[in-house]
Amino acid sequence: MRIPIRMISIATTFFWIFLILFLVSAVYSVKDVRFDFGQPQIGLTSDNKILFSLPIIIDNRGYYNIGCFNVTTEILDREGFMITRASTFIPVIEKDRQVMATHNVTIDVNDLRNSQDYLFNDTELEVREIVSIKLAEVIPVQASTNVSTPWGAPLYNFTLGKIEYAGFNGTHMTATIPISFENHASFDLTGSIQIRMYNSTKTLVSEGQTTIETPQNTQYHGHVELNIPIAAATENGYFEVYFSFPSFTLEEPLVMPYD
Amino acid sequence: MTEEKKDSKKRLQGFIRKALKATIKGVLFYGIYFVLSMFLAPVSEIVPGFQQMIEVFVMVYIVLMIIGELTAGTIFHHFFNGAKALFVILYLIFALNGGIVGITIQNVNLIVDLHLFLVVAILLGLLGFAKSVLQAINFLNEKTEHVHF
Repeated sequence: MRIPIRMISIATTFFWIFLILFLVSAVYSVKDVRFDFGQPQIGLTSDNKILFSLPIIIDNRGYYNIGCFNVTTEILDREGFMITRASTFIPVIEKDRQVMATHNVTIDVNDLRNSQDYLFNDTELEVREIVSIKLAEVIPVQASTNVSTPWGAPLYNFTLGKIEYAGFNGTHMTATIPISFENHASFDLTGSIQIRMYNSTKTLVSEGQTTIETPQNTQYHGHVELNIPIAAATENGYFEVYFSFPSFTLEEPLVMPYD
Repeated sequence: MTEEKKDSKKRLQGFIRKALKATIKGVLFYGIYFVLSMFLAPVSEIVPGFQQMIEVFVMVYIVLMIIGELTAGTIFHHFFNGAKALFVILYLIFALNGGIVGITIQNVNLIVDLHLFLVVAILLGLLGFAKSVLQAINFLNEKTEHVHF
C-alpha cells in the first residue's frame, strides 16, 4: 500500500505546483498586456447612421495568449431603453503580438423613441461598456462600467422669428421667416427645412424651403421666404416645419403657431 | 534505569528530528509563499483584502503542517493531513466565492471566473484527503500486524 500512497503523493504535489505556477504566472503576465484606446471618431455611415469609432490597440507581451477578447457597448436612453448595441470580437491575441481593431457603434436617430426630444433637447445617454478576455485562454475576466455621456441636440433651441412682410404687388406679398438653432450634435448637419404656412382657418397659405449646412457646435441663422396671397393671409395661424436630413427625417412635422 | 534513560533520550531525539523537519517544511513553505507573493503584488494593490486572505491561508496551513509533522508516527498525523486537505478545499471555496471573484474599482466592476481553477484545486484537495485516509488505514493495518506479531 505504501507505493500507491507515494504515487498519489507525488502526483498531487506535481499537479499542485503546476496549478499554482500556472495561475500565478497567468495573473502576473497581465501586467505586460497593454490596452490602448485611441481617440474616438464620430461621423456618419454610408446609410447615414451616426457612427462612433474607437480604435483599440492590444499589445500582448505576457507569457500566454489571450483568448476571446470582446468589447461590447450598449447605449441606453434615460428610461433604460436600449438604443444600440455593438460588439467587437478578437478570437486570439498571440503572445508577443500587437493587435489593432476598431470598435464601431452606430446609432440610427430614426430608431430613437421620442426622437423629437433628442433632436431639440440636450440630454444624457447611459453607456454600458463591457470588456472581457480569457487570460491564458482559460481564465475568463470581465470588466464592465456604466458612464453617462452627453447627447447634444442637432436642432437645439430651434425657433422661428418674427415674420417680416414685404414686396406687396396687389395680390401677393413676401413673408420672410427667420430660422435659428444651435447644432450641439457631434456631427455636421446638412439637409433641408420645409415650412408650410397655415392661416387661422387651417388653410394652406404658402410653403417654402431652405437648405442648411451647419457644422457641429455652431449656430445657424437663416430664413425662408414665402410668397403669400394677400387674400389668404390672416393675423395668426401656424407653421408646419418639416425636417429632412440624411441622418434623420421627422415623420411628424413640428407645429409652431404665429401671430 | 539505564534502559529508561536511553529510551527517553531516543524519544527526545525523535521529537527534535520531527521538530526540525516541521521547521524546515514550514520555512520552505513560507519561502515559496514569499516568492509567489512578489509576483502577486500587483494584484494585492488592486484587490483589497487579497494579501490578508492569502496570509491567513498560509498561516493556518503552516500550523496544520507543523502539528501534522510533530504528530508523525501516530494516527493523529494522518488526521491532521486530512484536516489540511479539507481546509484547503473549504478555504478555496469560501475565499473564491464559489469560483466567481468580483471587485469594484472606482466605477469599474471586475469579475474573474476561477471555476476551472477551483474545480482542479478541489479535485487535488480530495486526492490529498483520500491519500490521508489511505495512509491512516495503512497505519492502522501495520500497527495491527505489529501487535499480532
